[in-house]
Amino acid sequence: MSLKYGVLGLLAEEPLHGYEVKNRFESMLGGTWEVNIGQIYTTLQRLERDGLVRPVGARGDRGKLLYELSPSGRKALVNWLAQPDSGPQQLHEDIYVKLLLATRVANGSLPALLGRQKRAYLQRLRDLNQLEERARRDGRSDLARLIRGALLHTEADLKWVDELAADTHGGKTE
Amino acid sequence: MTELVRLTDVTKVYQGGITGALNGVSLSIEQGEFTAVMGPSGSGKSTLLNLIAGLDRPTSGDVVVGGTNLGGLGEAGLARFRRDHVGFVFQFFHLLPNLTALENVLIPAQLKGRENAEARGRTLLERLGMVDVADRYPARLSGGQQQRVAIARALINNPTLLLADEPTGALDTHSGDQVMALLAQLHRDGQTILLVTHDAKLATRQASRVVSVVDGKIVDDARLETMERAASDVVRVRGEETSR
Repeated sequence: MSLKYGVLGLLAEEPLHGYEVKNRFESMLGGTWEVNIGQIYTTLQRLERDGLVRPVGARGDRGKLLYELSPSGRKALVNWLAQPDSGPQQLHEDIYVKLLLATRVANGSLPALLGRQKRAYLQRLRDLNQLEERARRDGRSDLARLIRGALLHTEADLKWVDELAADTHGGKTE
Repeated sequence: MTELVRLTDVTKVYQGGITGALNGVSLSIEQGEFTAVMGPSGSGKSTLLNLIAGLDRPTSGDVVVGGTNLGGLGEAGLARFRRDHVGFVFQFFHLLPNLTALENVLIPAQLKGRENAEARGRTLLERLGMVDVADRYPARLSGGQQQRVAIARALINNPTLLLADEPTGALDTHSGDQVMALLAQLHRDGQTILLVTHDAKLATRQASRVVSVVDGKIVDDARLETMERAASDVVRVRGEETSR
């Protein structure tokens, strides 16, 4: 979903061709989201079909086609930007399922799993700290804010694992 | 690597069940390490720091710092040990209000009988970006500036060990960042640092080792990789892809 609006957002600044959209998108995300050029072209074709972008002029060098935002594309972008994210929370990481299975499949291995997970979170915090510092050094305060979000999420994950470990030691696990 | 601190089966019991007790803690710290001790309030992490600093004595067990068993020292011996080997940075600076920044920095040197430490004091304040306010009184300094003065004071006698107990706890984010950057610089210059904090973000910021203390026990001792990693190896942003 965000890729579609990411493309609209970049085209709101100036008309771009597919490769420029890919490069700018990846650079905006500071390497935290890589897209292949095929996804970009498919997205541009869908946006054109829906009347949200339109080609500017004829195909140029090596068949490159510039796209610009249409008025309805601009409206769709502004609407999307104004909407809060209110869908279900996404828990993508395996740990959530591992946690449920650990007590069923391998009885007693939960404390060890939690200990290893804690270390992984500490390492991630360390890496995110470095990344945030690098983003600030590079003058990318927008990217630093994104990484800050990841840092705070990881801090919450760590608290969660600590809490589970305390519960396990206290014999309170069901 | 040379071992600088060794705690062996250290227990600290407080009368009346005050929190912060330690229960059979063993820990070894190498020279040049930047270690963070992390735990919730009342877990015993500050007690651990106070025992290493010689500010407090264990109920049982041994605390050895730089080859000296602190248990074998009397009160005067402990005071000398603290003066010569330990620099301490607290959450609330503890500067003397009727002395200037520079005079505060020089106190530990004067206690050691080094009356000519002023040049070193000024050099330290310069290194911490504070030379312009050397002659100001603490009340005329911001929190961040006061903490930098406190760090200079902690460093004046070239301590073997720099101990910092929640050093950014009373500071705004920007001043806290400056203090952490300063500790990182000191570490790069070879200073052994032990940082106590309840904040995991802070603990992992510069330290390459994080010791977790819960209910008076060490529950984890993690050594972290410090190599810089590519953004995509650390965090990925991914929107939900739709086929329409």
